[in-house]
Amino acid sequence: MAAAENHGPKNIVIWAYLVILALVSVFVSFIFPSPADTVVIFGLAIAKATLVLLYFMHLRVENIFIHSLFFVPLALVVVMFFGFMPDLNHWLY
Amino acid sequence: MNLEPTLAASPDTASPDTMEAAVPAGKLGVWWFIASEIMVFGGVLASFILLRLTGPDWSGDIEHNNVLLGSINTLVLLTSSFFIVEVLAANRAGDLEKFKKYMVFTIVLGFLFMVIKGAEYTAHIQEGFLPDKSLFWAFYYGMTGLHGLHVLAGIVANISLLVVVSKPGGLARFGHRSEMCGLYWHFVDVVWIFLFPLLYLG
Repeated sequence: MAAAENHGPKNIVIWAYLVILALVSVFVSFIFPSPADTVVIFGLAIAKATLVLLYFMHLRVENIFIHSLFFVPLALVVVMFFGFMPDLNHWLY
Repeated sequence: MNLEPTLAASPDTASPDTMEAAVPAGKLGVWWFIASEIMVFGGVLASFILLRLTGPDWSGDIEHNNVLLGSINTLVLLTSSFFIVEVLAANRAGDLEKFKKYMVFTIVLGFLFMVIKGAEYTAHIQEGFLPDKSLFWAFYYGMTGLHGLHVLAGIVANISLLVVVSKPGGLARFGHRSEMCGLYWHFVDVVWIFLFPLLYLG
């Protein structure tokens, strides 16, 4: 797997992308009106997290055991999030 | 003789590629831990976003967070993540000096993150923004406090690894643990990647 990890962009390039995305997030928060900025900023956060997961945590070259350990709990969180969505109206009033 | 237990891929389900990709038990353990952490932080972040969607105006509270310090802390953690990847590379190259150098950089940046966070806490407390001030500040201290504890734990793990690797023959014997420390450190970074926009930019 070590050989597979060495393919793709160098770590410094990934770091540079991460820094650029972080700076763009800050820039967007001052430029875009709310709530559009929140959507864009959260999208950029997902992009940054994906870069870290794929290239720094090597998720792109891991096997099904590791993928399961990442995606199953993530899916449970997403299910919980949307499961509670109908209660939002209840909290509002 | 390699005494590290491994979880080998099942012969009847594995392709020739995955047959080689046995997972060391330590690495599998860290991923199990990360899986539980996804549930912890995922639950807290989901709760925060859901409450935010109900419409409370937290913009006034968020404005009291220092975007500059938050941005610096983001760059600090991203850079420390880069250095710990280089620690892993140094281990694979068998380069002890680079291993130690990049690990020290990672640890120093971890401490820097905590110092900046401490300065922010001090300013907030002096201004009277305590956890009981509002729901936003309860979330703020809860989420950043929990994350800070994880950063501290990561610093302790990294220092421990640096100490044992620095002993004679330490790199050959303990160097592989840099992958476990790295995975944990990156996860802590990923959590901050989501905390920063929610608490400082949202």
